[in-house]
Amino acid sequence: MNDAHIYCSDALRRLGADKFQCVLTRKKQVELNLEGTEMSLMRSTQDVTLSLMAIKDLRKGEITVNILDQKSLDEAMSSLMELCATSAQDDAYDISPPQPKQHFDIGPSEPDVDRMYALLARYADHTTARFPKVRLAETIFAHALTERHFTNSTGVDLSSRKGVYTFTSLFSAKDGGKTSSFNYSQVALADLEQELLQCSSFAVLLGQAAEQLEARALPGKFVGDVIITPDCLGGLLSFYVSTFLGDRALIAGTSLFKDKLGQKVAGEQLTFGARPRSPQIADGYAITSDGFVAEDVTLIERGVLKSFMLSLYGANKTKRERAKNSGDCFVVEAGDKTYAQLVAGVERGLLIARYSGGYPSANGDFSGVAKNSYYIENGKVLYPVNETMIAGNLAELFTQIKGISAERVNFGGALLPYVAATGVTISGKQ
Amino acid sequence: MIIQDLRTYRSLFTQYTELRAQENRIMNIAYLNGNLVRNTKSAVGGVSARAYAGGSWGFASAPGYDQVREVISEATLNAAFLDQRAKKGHAPFAPSCPVAERSFATTKPRLSQSEIMQFMQELDGYIAGKYPSLSSRTVSLYNLDMEKSLLTSDGASLYSLLARTVFGVSLSKDTATGPVEVFESAGGLGQFEDVFGEPQSLFPVIDTLYEHLEKKSEGVYAEAGLKECVLDSALAGILAHEAIGHTAEADLVHAGSVAGDYLNQLCASPLITLVDFAHTFRGQPCPMPIYIDDEGTLAEDQVLIEQGVLKGYMHNKHSARRFGVSSTGNARAYEYFDEPLIRMRNTVIVPGHSKLADMIASIEDGYYLMKPSNGQADTTSEFMFGVVLGYEIKQGKLGRAIRDLTISGVAFDVLKSVTMVSDDLKWSNAGMCGKKQLIPVGMGGAAVKCRINIGGR
Repeated sequence: MNDAHIYCSDALRRLGADKFQCVLTRKKQVELNLEGTEMSLMRSTQDVTLSLMAIKDLRKGEITVNILDQKSLDEAMSSLMELCATSAQDDAYDISPPQPKQHFDIGPSEPDVDRMYALLARYADHTTARFPKVRLAETIFAHALTERHFTNSTGVDLSSRKGVYTFTSLFSAKDGGKTSSFNYSQVALADLEQELLQCSSFAVLLGQAAEQLEARALPGKFVGDVIITPDCLGGLLSFYVSTFLGDRALIAGTSLFKDKLGQKVAGEQLTFGARPRSPQIADGYAITSDGFVAEDVTLIERGVLKSFMLSLYGANKTKRERAKNSGDCFVVEAGDKTYAQLVAGVERGLLIARYSGGYPSANGDFSGVAKNSYYIENGKVLYPVNETMIAGNLAELFTQIKGISAERVNFGGALLPYVAATGVTISGKQ
Repeated sequence: MIIQDLRTYRSLFTQYTELRAQENRIMNIAYLNGNLVRNTKSAVGGVSARAYAGGSWGFASAPGYDQVREVISEATLNAAFLDQRAKKGHAPFAPSCPVAERSFATTKPRLSQSEIMQFMQELDGYIAGKYPSLSSRTVSLYNLDMEKSLLTSDGASLYSLLARTVFGVSLSKDTATGPVEVFESAGGLGQFEDVFGEPQSLFPVIDTLYEHLEKKSEGVYAEAGLKECVLDSALAGILAHEAIGHTAEADLVHAGSVAGDYLNQLCASPLITLVDFAHTFRGQPCPMPIYIDDEGTLAEDQVLIEQGVLKGYMHNKHSARRFGVSSTGNARAYEYFDEPLIRMRNTVIVPGHSKLADMIASIEDGYYLMKPSNGQADTTSEFMFGVVLGYEIKQGKLGRAIRDLTISGVAFDVLKSVTMVSDDLKWSNAGMCGKKQLIPVGMGGAAVKCRINIGGR
């Protein structure tokens, strides 16, 4: 049914929903996969999902289905109203208010599969030639077209059509009986102009994989400096936002920043935000998950907390302001030092290229393994390490920033520099 | 309702082809501090086909069940697109045609949504009433039904309905050094009616968890360094899955995993036997029983380590041919639009002969580590697990609780250090493994005594 959201809107009114929203999403994806350096799979998928949310008597239910014939939709709506009837009342439930009808077109709608094949084949060839000790594992080059239509009972009618290429490669190095830790990177692209090996940080990481065959255990334990690479920074920022700024932390009241809006919570070198509308972000979005036109948001500006990352529900529940987007697409402003200057400023510490660790505690404590990382001493990167753990507190880490690099890596879904900080406990093998 | 019998479409196959119809149905409920923050259902289904041409795979999928012909045709074209360019010239696979039908749908009358919500509200109310000093509480319920049918051009066919229902509870308390949190889950194979009875049956789970929270709120940070520890079954299960299992997936072995160097070598203590069970252990269904995999191969138990010696890897058809062995039936796909990948099923360290109490009593200064939060491993078998519940062991006795920490090591080194394996086995059926796609897996095992690196502050 092509007009499923119209059918459902009419039906939900008849069924007595006080408020409702319908999100119809159609996705077409084509992908090419390598296994090692061999082309192994061409995969093309279509999917359609209809997500319905209804509120009745301050009770809410949500249901998602992908079979859109009339019988299936009728069953889904009946089930939705049952979910509503059996849920608890909460006056924070709401839908987005009236906004002008808008449509957004982002990125290429049609994939150039022949060009994708040629680029992927060259990636395999170039990797073999330049990095002979590297073994490629899972490597996927995809194009996805996502069409989204958001409507609700206040008259909101927002739609978007987004096409984007994504490339992901996972790899390690092998030499005789030596194996390096795996590493990976990914990039989102609006066009196919560049060789894949030149995108984001692939060439750097593939080169490091062979070096990491000689990784050594770091003796002892000390509190030192860290330089967080752009590949590692994205994950830490996601932890930071969900631990201190997101719905769960603020509704539960566990966020250390719950009373810190407008106050300094990080080093003044740090300015970052979620910028899904930035022209620098190929994998952005125009409509939030709760039915607003997305706007770029600055979360921290010169160390001062400027916004939480609250959904409409989270905002209503905590009586705070809603964030103007749904998060991700992190952009950290470039600093005033070069990467080389950051390294030169480290007396003793680590270059952390990947963090493999547990989700931080509610108070921000984290502890994990520094993977694909290097020991730094007296301003020089000395050797790759293994079995090295780091521990600290996420809130404290970002208050103890020593510098941010001018160089940034554009991953298409984020734009990130190197960040140097101090006060991290580094434990080698003991 | 998925298409249960796909045989009418067999005439559309022009080369080796798999045709699958599948629907995943999920119910997800969560209360945070008494507020219903999640109350969702989803049902996502469709058909997919995968065709093989000369060593290249083509895959296609579409939602719903009325585009079977188009999906087979597109998969065939996709395989041809790659075959024309890659020109590998591989022969077809040796045919296999097992047949199975297995459903874990309940035969009891289904409960209404209202009755299930009442069950959850009763549990939430119990916590709120009995433990008012908590700063935060969450109760959740997750049910997944995976219903699928499969037909291959060789004649293999499967109909299965696998169900998983898991109750989760998380409690937190403010302390002078910040909030402290503990969580627990209960449930497993089957639909709600077969897994849970009255809400009161879960009260002891909550009470025990609260006792742990009280102790953890006065807990201490663990000392960093290499320590003698007992890993309880939940951690042993993650060790089996993350630290060894992934390195023994044949595609990762081909990509350079360290397990590739250890075949038929002593790589662990002779006390260690580690198996990826297909569907049955000691006469009972495993948490995630797989009878025929998504390539139409009969699923069989795969012994990865037997008395310390690495005996084999987990395979799909392609890797089995590359390694010159038979497929073990480890090819699994999560959604209808996912292609089968080499995945674990039910991976455990098989019980030994020691008593858990004796294992704890045998440690002078170490830790009893009970509950993981998450875990990761890589091709070197170096791993890390978050640990959110544990206790000191001092002079053979349990001491103070410890705060959240991370443990790490090289899995094969840790397994070499094992000196005791408990005689019991506990399963966990709440895990989702990530590798391009998510997939539900069972894991568990005996408790092990070993030396492991603690990442303290």
